[in-house]
Amino acid sequence: MRALLSIEFGKLLRLSSLRFSLVLLALFPAIWAFAPGVAEIYGFFVISAYQVPALALLTTMEFLLPLLVAIASAELLGLERTFGTISTVLLRPVTRSQFIAAKLIVATVYPFLLLAFMLAVGLISGFPFGYGSFLGGTGLGAGGLPGEGLITPGAALLELLRGYLIAACSLVPISLLALLFTVVWMNAAGGALATLGVLITMQLMVVFPGLERFLLSAQLSAYVQPVADLGWVLALLAVYSAAFAATAVVLFERKDF
Amino acid sequence: MASAAIETRQLSKHYGQRPVVRDLSFRVAPGEVYALVGPNGAGKTTVIRLLTGLAFPTAGSVYLLGLDLLKNPAIRRRIGAVVEAPAAFYPYLSGRANLALHARLAGGVSEGRIAEVLRLLELETSAERKVGVYSLGMRQRLGVAAALLTQPEVLILDEPASGMDPLSLHVVHRVLREAASMGTAVLLSTHHLDEVAAYCSRVAILEEGQLIDEVNLLDRRDRYRAQVSDVRRAQLALKTQPFIRHAGTRGDEVVFILEDSAALGRVAGALVAAGVELLGLARDNFDLRAYYRERVSAKRGVAPEEVA
Repeated sequence: MRALLSIEFGKLLRLSSLRFSLVLLALFPAIWAFAPGVAEIYGFFVISAYQVPALALLTTMEFLLPLLVAIASAELLGLERTFGTISTVLLRPVTRSQFIAAKLIVATVYPFLLLAFMLAVGLISGFPFGYGSFLGGTGLGAGGLPGEGLITPGAALLELLRGYLIAACSLVPISLLALLFTVVWMNAAGGALATLGVLITMQLMVVFPGLERFLLSAQLSAYVQPVADLGWVLALLAVYSAAFAATAVVLFERKDF
Repeated sequence: MASAAIETRQLSKHYGQRPVVRDLSFRVAPGEVYALVGPNGAGKTTVIRLLTGLAFPTAGSVYLLGLDLLKNPAIRRRIGAVVEAPAAFYPYLSGRANLALHARLAGGVSEGRIAEVLRLLELETSAERKVGVYSLGMRQRLGVAAALLTQPEVLILDEPASGMDPLSLHVVHRVLREAASMGTAVLLSTHHLDEVAAYCSRVAILEEGQLIDEVNLLDRRDRYRAQVSDVRRAQLALKTQPFIRHAGTRGDEVVFILEDSAALGRVAGALVAAGVELLGLARDNFDLRAYYRERVSAKRGVAPEEVA
């Protein structure tokens, strides 16, 4: 399994969608850090380096990050189909469960890697604003960007880490759903499109108020929610993730190649 | 046949209501080269996928080296296979890196084995090039190299000759013959009847997912017909010779199969010793292509010329 995992991570690093994602996610913080018209258009000034990663997350979490995560996860399996290498690998003493489990692990870790990269680039891009204490908020804590007074670098960094971690957690089921759909159709484009279709449909389901707290799409903003809801959110994300992963394994086990 | 390296028992596969393989039973012994031939859509590739565990049978079972493959996945360590045509590899890795990856997935191979299979398949000079730029023939040869990595006891190959130039074909034939001579059971599917006639031990003809005939080519390869003065006496004389596997009569000729083609010179002596005059001797060529057309056309109920 260790060999399989290292091979799978190697494949992830070679995905063209990963490279494209890294370029995009490097671009977003830079836009917030260096765009001249932020104040005129959005009505606020960026005053600290710690606000740049938060702004990048706030503007990508709604659509771009789910899209990038879904495409890469779908590609993890879809490309194997394109290359014909699923059969090649399964002819070795590798069980189907091991094969798909390795991909599920990579798909679970991927959002964390992606957001870690964006956080690092965001912090680096914010260097013109300095890394000291400042009057305001990061955008990911109480008070939003205006904040609740003076915030220390340590507190700001903690807010960012918390927000990014929760954001990554809420992307995990999306990543696993894309892999599940790719198992069903054995096609990367189909898997990614179906995932986005489900998310958009879920976004429309808010017209049923009783359903909202159960919707996966509603959890995409969990990183800015009050702490009181966090337990519920993480439990729901874990249930979604486990269900998608288990279904993917069961379907893959029964598939003819 | 004592122990089978590959065995199917009443194997069937349906996709929805459509039967693709029907009630297929055959056995391949260690050291045999067994070919599956048949028209497009006859079910050859499905049989290969069932044999390698990539597809699940609707009914029946597959035994490799005496074990049920689906219940004993570890047995794959003892099996080599190429199931895609052309053989599937990661195009962004070199030939050598792809083999190294296969070796890791197989749980490791002996030191120098990768270099050895690359040499066997004459791929040393292109081993460092990315597979994405390989020709079809090179990919197929790399596929056979990957299949041989773990020194398997069973080799299963789908269309190994697909896209190969004559030189590559020669290399692969040599390697497969060598593997068989060392006891490996080789099963391949192919459209190339000349390839089958050249080095396969037995051939199964499939049509619409059914085994319509199984031909022992060894019995047909070193086969001769002789015109003699006394057919009956000649048959009796040849039957008792150790270098004759089989002797029979056909009209006014005696037909015999040699154990070894080098023994042909001893036939005349045996006949003379029995008081039989040898009037003429010729190889009794078996035309696999004609036979195949005849069997498939009979199954379809059409004229042999209508079978491609």
